[in-house]
Amino acid sequence: MKRFIDLVRVAVAGLTARKVRTLLILLGPILGVGAIVAAIGINESSKGYLKAQLQDLGTDLIVANAQDSLGGFGQTPRIPEDATERVSRLPDVTSVTGTYQISNVVTLPFDAAEDYYKAFPVPIIATGLNLPETMEVPMVSGRFINKFDYEQSARVAVIGRDLADEYGYLRGEQRTISLNGIDYGVVGVLDWVLLEPSMDSAVFIAFSTAEKDWEIGNQDPTRLYVRAPTNTQLVAEEIPTVVSLGGPDGARTSVPTDLLNAESQVDESLNTLTQLMGGLALIVGGVGIANVMSISVIQRSSEIGIRRALGHTRTTIAMQFLFEALVVGVLGGIFGALAGAGVVWFTSWSRDYVMILSLSSLVGWSLVSVAVAVASGLYPSMKAARLEPLETLRLG
Amino acid sequence: MVESLLSLESVSRIYGTDVEVHALHQVSLEIFSSDFMSIVGPSGSGKSTMLGLLGLLDVPTKGNVKVNGVDATSMNDFQRSRLRGDAIGFVFQQFHLIPHLSALGNVETALLYRGLSPKERKKKAAESLGKLGLGGREDHRPVQLSGGEQQRVAIARAIVTDPLVVLADEPTGALDSENAENIMKVFADLKSPERAVCLVTHDMEIADSTDRKITMKDGEIVQDLIQGSEK
Repeated sequence: MKRFIDLVRVAVAGLTARKVRTLLILLGPILGVGAIVAAIGINESSKGYLKAQLQDLGTDLIVANAQDSLGGFGQTPRIPEDATERVSRLPDVTSVTGTYQISNVVTLPFDAAEDYYKAFPVPIIATGLNLPETMEVPMVSGRFINKFDYEQSARVAVIGRDLADEYGYLRGEQRTISLNGIDYGVVGVLDWVLLEPSMDSAVFIAFSTAEKDWEIGNQDPTRLYVRAPTNTQLVAEEIPTVVSLGGPDGARTSVPTDLLNAESQVDESLNTLTQLMGGLALIVGGVGIANVMSISVIQRSSEIGIRRALGHTRTTIAMQFLFEALVVGVLGGIFGALAGAGVVWFTSWSRDYVMILSLSSLVGWSLVSVAVAVASGLYPSMKAARLEPLETLRLG
Repeated sequence: MVESLLSLESVSRIYGTDVEVHALHQVSLEIFSSDFMSIVGPSGSGKSTMLGLLGLLDVPTKGNVKVNGVDATSMNDFQRSRLRGDAIGFVFQQFHLIPHLSALGNVETALLYRGLSPKERKKKAAESLGKLGLGGREDHRPVQLSGGEQQRVAIARAIVTDPLVVLADEPTGALDSENAENIMKVFADLKSPERAVCLVTHDMEIADSTDRKITMKDGEIVQDLIQGSEK
């Protein structure tokens, strides 16, 4: 043990005696390990952000858009009421809400804003009563459209959170908005709908009211939002059949989080490429260590000679240089991992990512740095051990 | 009682394979305890080769090198290095101090890998420097010391292990006359009943100041003088 400690002391003394040289050979492993840790960490952290978003959104919402299998002849395809009923009876479905977006309606918070809202119309959505449950979105204030509103075809509206902000709507305020000149009372504000951001600046009214005021023909929706916590994909595949049942009506389904889910998968090929590039950087660093240490052996031949004369064995001399390489590898690994982690932290902080840094990656690549440094130090160490003391002392 | 500490028995050293250079030819020599001796001769006479063999830094092509009666010729590098560290102390013309270590660190180097704690090493090294009049200069780097002081550090390093033989190769060669004289006094003081001091030099004045003078020529010992009388 004392011999081991002596070796470490001699190696550290050798390295600290030539600070600039040591710093230069340290740069190889630091840059190599730092680059790999940073690249992998940033890659995973960016996906971590998407994963966290997915966690918030849930992955079990299905959107079914009406599709007329016979072509439609200019009519907007609708999903009949009985089809909606069939979808809601599917075993894995917990909630279904139909919507219908009404066009050519100008919505105004006050008269002076008419020109602006003609240019940028606000979507008017006729909806079923359980939209907040299906979308799993709470109310910011007030209430959603209820059964009474529906039965009375009441002129009440719920507005999206962004629209409420745009209108300067205050919580609990008695307020009306004008839809093509017809006043509707605002009864509540719906929170942000992450999976359907267009709803954030929409006005929601009851189907019965829409049928009475806006001539939508019937109360059949053009779109269904379906919540199916289990077998989501299977339900999404079943819905078109359940809607159609061989008839002309049809639906095309999608799961909005699918794309996000695919994006959230860590790009393995990018990771592999990163690791290859980082590995290459480490090898280049290793060649640097071998080069500098080989030159160092020549420069320190007098020191090697005198150590040999003082009784140090060839093995001890080899170990001394190997330990110098080992210390370079260990320090390079630690500082490289820290530098990489720092880059990942900064990137995550500046881009609002969720910082993900695997301990195995940090430790693993630090160990690779040690292995590369030791392997690089082998040749110079053996060269130092082979030097003949008599020759080096005469030349030195 | 005078004992044989180091001996060469019919030693030859031949360098090269294609073209052979006979650096030493059938040389026999015994170094005894309390010897204060010198090896002199012109350039190419085989002095340095002899120093290498006596110091176990080289192995003979023929013959045997014995330390305290133990044959070192057949030893492996590990055994020979250990024996060298224990039995021989070296002093060189160019001092060969390790530049990044302090005077104390340089002396300590001779005590490494011997199972001593750093504290024990430092104590011994400081004592050795003290003997050479370098107390208070322990923390000085070689560049902060004069030539004479550097050589005294090298001598302190050579004797810190309490070797049987101190071998010095042209120890005053890089010094001015005043420092050379001082260093020679140091060597004379190193004489002890248990130790031998052997100086390799081409300076006849230095050789004459020793108790025994070995003269070499063309790889052979041509004269071995003790206190003015031929052996």
